[in-house]
Amino acid sequence: METHSTRSVLGAHASRLQRVGATLPFDDERHLAAHRWLVDEAWLLDAQAYSDWLALLTEDIHYVMPVRVTTALGAGFDTSPGMAHFDEDWYSLSRRVARFLTEHAWTEDPPSRLRHHLSNVRTFATEDPDHLIVDSATLLFRNRGDVHEGSLVSAGREDLLRRTPEGWKLARRTIMVDDSVMRMQNLAIFL
Amino acid sequence: MTDQTGVLADVRRGMIPAHIYNDRELFELERERIFGRAWIFVAHESEIAKPGDYVVRRVLEDSFIVARDEKGEIRAHFNMCLHRGMQVCRAEIGNASHFRCPYHGWSYRNDGRIVGLPFHQDAYGGEAGFKRKGQRLLPAPNLATYNGLIFISMDPDAEPLEDFLGDFRFYLDYYTKQSPSGIELRGPQRWRVKANWKIGAENFAGDMYHTPQTHTSVVEIGLFREPKAEKRKDGCTYWAGAGGGTTYKLPEGDLDERLRYVGYPQEMVDRMKHSLSEDQLKVVGDDGFMISAASAFPNLSFVHNWPRVAESDDVLPFISIRQWQPVSENETEVLSWFAVDAEAPEEFKALSYKAYLMCFGSTGMFEQDDVENWVSLTNTAAGSMARRLLLNSRMGILEDGTEVVPALTPEQFHGPGVAHTGYGEYNQRELLNRWADHLERPVSTVSTVEVGGPAAGPAAAGTAAGAAPAGAPPNAVAPTAADQVRAQA
Repeated sequence: METHSTRSVLGAHASRLQRVGATLPFDDERHLAAHRWLVDEAWLLDAQAYSDWLALLTEDIHYVMPVRVTTALGAGFDTSPGMAHFDEDWYSLSRRVARFLTEHAWTEDPPSRLRHHLSNVRTFATEDPDHLIVDSATLLFRNRGDVHEGSLVSAGREDLLRRTPEGWKLARRTIMVDDSVMRMQNLAIFL
Repeated sequence: MTDQTGVLADVRRGMIPAHIYNDRELFELERERIFGRAWIFVAHESEIAKPGDYVVRRVLEDSFIVARDEKGEIRAHFNMCLHRGMQVCRAEIGNASHFRCPYHGWSYRNDGRIVGLPFHQDAYGGEAGFKRKGQRLLPAPNLATYNGLIFISMDPDAEPLEDFLGDFRFYLDYYTKQSPSGIELRGPQRWRVKANWKIGAENFAGDMYHTPQTHTSVVEIGLFREPKAEKRKDGCTYWAGAGGGTTYKLPEGDLDERLRYVGYPQEMVDRMKHSLSEDQLKVVGDDGFMISAASAFPNLSFVHNWPRVAESDDVLPFISIRQWQPVSENETEVLSWFAVDAEAPEEFKALSYKAYLMCFGSTGMFEQDDVENWVSLTNTAAGSMARRLLLNSRMGILEDGTEVVPALTPEQFHGPGVAHTGYGEYNQRELLNRWADHLERPVSTVSTVEVGGPAAGPAAAGTAAGAAPAGAPPNAVAPTAADQVRAQA
C-alpha cells in the first residue's frame, strides 16, 4: 500500500519504509521505547516546548495531514486530492516553530491550554531494524480565554521512528484527522 | 423587525455600529437580501473537470450539487429529492452518472433529470398520476461563470454576473487568467470560526493597515519580506465594481523584472503577457503595483503573496481563493482553496502550494493571527455596550470628506475604479455601502415549483395537490406540465 507521503504533493523526499508483520507484543522493548517516545512528545506539545519538539524530528521529516472529505462508499478516496492541512518538511516546520518563539504570534498570546490525549499505540517492525512504525490515536483538547468553549481534534497517526545516535527521532508522520470541516479556529498547534 | 435605517445611515457615513458584527436580526436580513440575491461563488470548473465530476456546496443552508453532466455542461441543482425532500447526494465530492436517493430510490442523471422512480405504475398509475418525463432536480435559480469561477444566484431575475462584478473583473483576471488555460483549484480546506463573515471580507478588501501589526511575526521569521509598515503604505488600494483590493509597490524595473521579482518564472511571465490586457500589464510594468488581497461582494476573497519557501532568498508566489460562508451572526465556515495557473510548470505548482500552506488556510501563519482577531471582535460585538459604540471607519478622509491622499490619476494607475496610496479604509466603506444598499432593498417574492402536481389553471383551482378529495384515484386530476412555476400565493 502506498503511503500518504507518496500521495501528497510535497512528500517526494520522505522515507518509503512500511510496516512488516503483526503488532509487536506490548512487552516488546521496541514497543516500550516507541510508546515512551510518544508520551514524552505529547508532553512537549502540551507544554508548547516547540524547540525541544523540533529537535526530535529528522532532517528529512515529512509531516502530512490530509484534508478529509466525505465520499460515497466505494469512491476509492477519502482525502482531498492534492490538498492537505499540513504538508511539511523541516524548513516549513522550523518556520512555524520560529514564529511561535517570536513575541508577536498573537494567536498564542495569551497561550492556549492544550492536552494531547494519546491512546491505541501499536508498534510494528520494518525491514530496517533502526526504524519502527507506530500507530496511535490522539485527541487534542484546546481551550483559549476564560469562557470560550474548548475545541477538539481527533486523529489517527502513523509515525515512522528512526533510531539515531541522539535517540529515536520522527522521520515521517501522517495525521488522519476525523473531521472534514475542522472545528478549531486555526491549526496553530501540532498533532 | 427593528428599523435598521439608522444603522445603515451610520454605516454610509463611515461610522460602523459595532453590533453589526454580531446581530441576529441583521443576519436574518443579510440572509434574505444579500444571500437571497447576490451572485455567490460555489466552485471552479477545474474542480469538476470530467463529465460526472461533482462537488456539493452550500449557499447558507441550501445545498447544491454542482456537477459537470455527460455533455460537459455545468449544472447546479438543489440537493433535495423531489419526492420526500431527502438529501440526494451526501458525499461532498466524487464522480457519478446518477444520484440515487437512499430513502425511496428515486434517481436522477447528473444533469438533474429524473430517471428512476420505483413502482411508477403501481404507485402513481404511471405518467397519468405522476408525470416523470421532464422532471428534474430543482436547478439553482441562476448560474453563470467567469474565468471558470462558477457563481449562482438565488434570484432568477439577477442582473447578469458580468454586470454584477463590473470592473472588478479587471482585477479578477490577475488571479484567474495568467494563461489562456486559467487556473486549477485544489481543496478547499474547510474550518469553522466563531467570527462574523463580514470581517474577513472587509479585511481582504482593503485592510493594509493591519499587516505590519498583525503579521509582524511572519516578517520576523523571514517568511515574507514585504509587510514592513513603510512598504505597505506605498502600495495602493483600489475599488472597482463589486470588489476591491490591496497592492504592494514593486521596486523599479520593467514588466518582466517586476513579475520575476515576486517569483514568476519567465515562461509564466511570457504567458501573462499574452493573456492579460495592455492596461492590466501596465498596472504592474508601468505603475509598479502588484495585486495582493482582494474581496468581491459579498463573501469571496483572494490573496496573492510571495513568501520564501526554502532556506534561500528566492520567493515564490501563490494564489488562494476563499469564501466566508455564513453559518450564523457569530460563526463562519471558511473555505480556502489553493489556485495555480494550469499551465505553470509542475515544480512551480508544488512550491506555490507549499507557499500557500505556510501562509494561508487552516494552518497558514498569516491566517492564524487574523482569525484570532476576528473571533475576539465578534465576541465583543455581542453585548449592549457594542450598541453604544460607533467604530470609526473613515481612515483616509477628513471630516469634510476630503481625501488625505488624493486618488491616483489614470497616468499613475491604469486600472479601472478608484485607487489610493497611503493608509485608508476606502474599500471597507465601499463593501459595507454595498451591504447597506442590499439590506435596504426588499427582495421580490420567491416563486415555488410544483413537482408533477395537478394543473394549476382555473379548471383545477379547487383541487390543488394537497386538497384532492381523499380516496380520489390518482388519475382523477389532470397532470400538470413539468416544472410548472407559480407565484407563491
